[in-house]
Amino acid sequence: MRKASYSVTRLQNHGYVFILPTLLFFAVFLIYPMLSAFRLSFYEWNLLSPKQFVGLKNFVRMATDSRVINSYVRTLHFSGISVAAINILAFAFALLFGSRLLQWKNFWQSLVFLPVVLSIVAVGVVWEFMFQSTGLIPVILRKIIGVSPVWLTNTKAAPYAMIMVYVWKSVGYYMVIYIAGLLDVPVSYYEAARIDGAGFWGQLWYITLPSLRNTIALAVVSCVIFTFGQFSIQYVITKGGPSRSTEILSLQILRQGFELSKFGYASAISVLFFLTMLVFSLIQLRLFKSGTVGA
Amino acid sequence: MISYRTVESWQRLILYVFVAALGFVFLFPFFWMIVSSLKLNKDVLAIPIRFFPSPWNWKSYVNVFTMFPDFNFPRFILNSVIVTAAAVLLCLFFSATAGYGFAKFRFKGNNLLFTIVLATIMITFEAIVVPLYILVRQLGISNTYWGLIIPESLTAFGVFMLRQFFYALPDDFLESARIDGANEYVIFARIGLPMAKTALLALVIFHAQWVWNLLLWPMITISEPSLRVLPQGIALFKGGYNTPYPEQLAVSVIACLPLVLLYIFLSKYFVQGITMTGLKG
Repeated sequence: MRKASYSVTRLQNHGYVFILPTLLFFAVFLIYPMLSAFRLSFYEWNLLSPKQFVGLKNFVRMATDSRVINSYVRTLHFSGISVAAINILAFAFALLFGSRLLQWKNFWQSLVFLPVVLSIVAVGVVWEFMFQSTGLIPVILRKIIGVSPVWLTNTKAAPYAMIMVYVWKSVGYYMVIYIAGLLDVPVSYYEAARIDGAGFWGQLWYITLPSLRNTIALAVVSCVIFTFGQFSIQYVITKGGPSRSTEILSLQILRQGFELSKFGYASAISVLFFLTMLVFSLIQLRLFKSGTVGA
Repeated sequence: MISYRTVESWQRLILYVFVAALGFVFLFPFFWMIVSSLKLNKDVLAIPIRFFPSPWNWKSYVNVFTMFPDFNFPRFILNSVIVTAAAVLLCLFFSATAGYGFAKFRFKGNNLLFTIVLATIMITFEAIVVPLYILVRQLGISNTYWGLIIPESLTAFGVFMLRQFFYALPDDFLESARIDGANEYVIFARIGLPMAKTALLALVIFHAQWVWNLLLWPMITISEPSLRVLPQGIALFKGGYNTPYPEQLAVSVIACLPLVLLYIFLSKYFVQGITMTGLKG
């Protein structure tokens, strides 16, 4: 008996060997840098002269730095609208492609999914052309409704141009998640609901949405994480302009750190970035969890 | 009186019109990228808009490789291929070993360590670029392939995906091999890995797509022109003074092609990669 349990423990300990390389690399290249961002945020450092401990100075400065506040608000605006639009559209598309009236479902879905596999830099290049004053979008808008904003030089329109590109690029990814979630809902639930006289909206509200609770939580949380860190679209199309109207946090970190050599300050912005994302993710998971019934 | 069938066929018509419009919106920018890359520079933004080029300017695809001495695109493509291949291989190694370890062994601290690995999903490049750059510099691997490959190979999504896969795999196969006296690493390599073929292929595609398109990390860690990767090359090329449009679009099409082709032939695995990471947490 003793001998058997000894060998079982020894067997289970092989698990450590299997996870060791991954743990090591994750610790060195992800967890250590994250902790080190927290530490660096208390220093002033340009990488050349020795670093100087300045306490909370970076955070105090951040709270009054209009440039950082601006990019924080821009990031929340971009992320808030994008995450809502992406998830609502992705869910609607998933329902649409689930319709029994529709054929060639795979074909239609793959069209919506196509932007997901395109290079994001290439996507930025082509959308910038389409947004230019003699580009496709303004020309068509002027033909149809008579007016079009000057998308990329207007501080009001440019942020929405970024959101459009991002939603277009990402919605297919989340659609796939929702389609898989919908397939997992037992058909018998819908049959029971129909017998009880529930129409389309009734079924949606009482069957589909509650059954998809976990799927929605995971889709929204991962969407927040990806969207908050969005960088390429703004970098390629507007470089943060016009008048910093699209200067999101990731661009700000790049500028403060790698263009202005304020590595301590850039770390403080990273900490703000990380904590915001953490708080959002925790709130969302809590919200969804509290409503979960059973397992 | 309108029959039920007529109502349904009207509904069907509206549905198809709507879905076709939707498909058009999602397909069009890629189509526009391709046709515009085949126009002459003066025609790209000309009014009235012409949908198809006249004449067809195939030369932009040659020019982009030959006319710009500061932008060695063949080299950038090669760099991207090397970095993507190596980062994907390393990611496969980490994800398969750790996923198997977490799924098949009940050692002390399993749950805690797995939770820590999962939590790193929140540590994106944007949150750690500054300290990661400092670390990579201290290790002497900034401006090298390794400086790109190692950080780009780490993804908790991969570990999570393979852990879920191995978890669902019955232990019977492993047990019978153990009784035959095979050691744990042989069992993993000979039995575990071959059974995970589908999951591994899905991970290859999922991860390759991510690495191939990364921009921020290469921008920061690579300053040596000959080591630039393709997205970085395109972004800098576009920022250049007086860069002709068709050439920008041509190189953009080239950057999209590998993944579009993969997607056409292996779309099943793209979808699997997403559903296996996004679901069943």
